[in-house]
Amino acid sequence: MVLDMHASASTGENKKYQKEYCEHHTECLKKIQAVLDGEASEAEKEHFRENMDDCLHCIKMYHLEKCVKEALQAKVDKRLCPDNLIATIKSKLNIIS
Amino acid sequence: MSVIMSEEIEEIPLASSETSYNDAEKNDIFNREFMPHINSMYNFAFRLTMDEDDANDLVQDTYLKAFRFISSFERGTNAKAWLFRILKNSFINDYRKRSKEPSKVDYQEVETTYNSEEAAEVDHTTDLRVETVQDMIGDEVATALNSLPVDFRTVIILCDIEGFTYEEMAKILDIPIGTVRSRLHRARNLLKDKLKVYASSMGYNTDEY
Repeated sequence: MVLDMHASASTGENKKYQKEYCEHHTECLKKIQAVLDGEASEAEKEHFRENMDDCLHCIKMYHLEKCVKEALQAKVDKRLCPDNLIATIKSKLNIIS
Repeated sequence: MSVIMSEEIEEIPLASSETSYNDAEKNDIFNREFMPHINSMYNFAFRLTMDEDDANDLVQDTYLKAFRFISSFERGTNAKAWLFRILKNSFINDYRKRSKEPSKVDYQEVETTYNSEEAAEVDHTTDLRVETVQDMIGDEVATALNSLPVDFRTVIILCDIEGFTYEEMAKILDIPIGTVRSRLHRARNLLKDKLKVYASSMGYNTDEY
């Protein structure tokens, strides 16, 4: 599950003090990555939700991680297997399509 | 193709039991379960070798091995992960030695650096802007990805480009899930460093978010 934290990061309602720096940023970053990968445990998701309310640093890390992941998915060219290689493999194995 | 040597990685995943398929069944498995993944396999091979001819050879070798050892594949299971594991092991055994990669010494040096407590506390977020990454074109992101040592590049390709789960990656790479997570973490930090250096060299503003 990927949680949308844009709302908590951008709304002015119920505005409260947000930390500029996270003293646990390495561990928080690992949890953020697990959330974005859809691999976070319930405890990690809960920690993530709580942090997104009061840690500006974690919010920024979340947006950067999400952006880099999306760039890898959408922007990096995907090479297609050449047709002649497919034909060669099938020919060597006597595969009938 | 290679004879599996004692110091080499065993290329074909061991099956709990082997299945005897007739020729028609082999043909069917190959067409229905193996061939749908050939573009992903080629893309993975190209990103590993960074060379079209080597990628061609690697994909061909992998599919020939997969067919030869098809009895080790259980029909209806995860063919993509099975094939990716064979390809990755073939790459390690046959191609890595002669690829244009940074040497293994370089990789170990990087992993040591990123394993250290000191490096773990480095903040990788304050000098790369979301907008900078959004402005980059695909070739720029690919260049940064290609510049990573192959073991780090591999986990990013498997997770972010091919969408494998941590559990699948653990099986493909033959490492524990905890190692998958930590290697991914280090790989992403390294990738952000590369993106930041590249962005600076191209005149992007990297001073703040």
